[in-house]
Amino acid sequence: MTSEKINCLIIDDDPFIRELLQDKLNQYFPEVHLLSTACSGREGLQKIASLQPELIFLDVEMADMTGFEMLAQLSDITFQTIFITSYSHYAIKAIRFNALDYLLKPLDLGELKKAINRYKKHINIRPHKENLVLALRNMSIKNIADHMLILKTQDGDLKLVIKDIIHIEGDRNYSYIYLKNGSKKLVSKTLSDLEELLDSKGFYRCHRSHILNREHIINYSKGTIVELSNTINVPVSRRKKKQFSEWYENNRIKNS
Amino acid sequence: MDIDWATTIINPKELIHISRGDHKVIYKYLIQFKELIPQRIDSLEKSLEAGNRKSVRQILHQMSPQLQFFGIKNIVSPIRRLEHEYETIPMVELNTLVDSILIKLNLAIEDVDLTLKKNF
Repeated sequence: MTSEKINCLIIDDDPFIRELLQDKLNQYFPEVHLLSTACSGREGLQKIASLQPELIFLDVEMADMTGFEMLAQLSDITFQTIFITSYSHYAIKAIRFNALDYLLKPLDLGELKKAINRYKKHINIRPHKENLVLALRNMSIKNIADHMLILKTQDGDLKLVIKDIIHIEGDRNYSYIYLKNGSKKLVSKTLSDLEELLDSKGFYRCHRSHILNREHIINYSKGTIVELSNTINVPVSRRKKKQFSEWYENNRIKNS
Repeated sequence: MDIDWATTIINPKELIHISRGDHKVIYKYLIQFKELIPQRIDSLEKSLEAGNRKSVRQILHQMSPQLQFFGIKNIVSPIRRLEHEYETIPMVELNTLVDSILIKLNLAIEDVDLTLKKNF
């Protein structure tokens, strides 16, 4: 075997998925060398230690532990991970929140090709592994405001602590993120993408072009303007005024 | 020789695609289906009897990719509904939905059995 081959490990408790992924890798990816497969998180840990893979395909939900719980048991993560999960799994949000890679079962070939290409592109980039460490850190922190959001930008990954985001302004396919330190970051995500990512994390889309963070609301008196901590006033659309007032009241009570 | 797919509920498109005409590969997936799905039906029935909503969701969630791969007609949307609503859906409705899924799964097993008998 040549050194250019990618040594990988499949960890999934579903024998069907292990077979399917193994067949797809064998047929379409000669550059990938499958070291072994594991049918549980426990076996996965043993095989990671003994085989030292460069890439693992890791099931999110296994009978004995989740993929994240398995990773949390490792003292050092020396490989890259592509999560494999079923549609609508709650963990997809956590995975996307930290710009981690994932594939939906039953593993579309086109998506698998893209994921392997992304792996090759980022093979020597340390931040990819750091994203995983940050995802594990987020899961261990109860206070959502302290969670770290990672967004891909043209200049690399942008890492932001949730509580530092004051508000976000959409501009077609891009969004401007206004931060506590006075800076403004441009990301290539739509406001709808960010709304979905930040849902249930204390943010509210109060207008077609604006999402705001409840932590930074200074004043709102049931009108159509919200005053934020960076002295910027953000509009509330007439259509959302009632819903926003309710959300604001509920969240303000919780905060006080 | 081509496989005789006398199926009523299964769509073997994905299976044909991944096997690239290799009958051994087709056989492997058919046998796996025949072994795995009855076990999971059994667990599903037990969980339903015990009123264990979480377990019903977990079993369906785990089965779902294999059922999608076998192209079983109209089975993905009731599973997704149960995955989303398993905690709140009334028990009667949950039972009805799972029963409709079980009927389709049993038909799929018959399809697989027949294909195996006819071709292998």
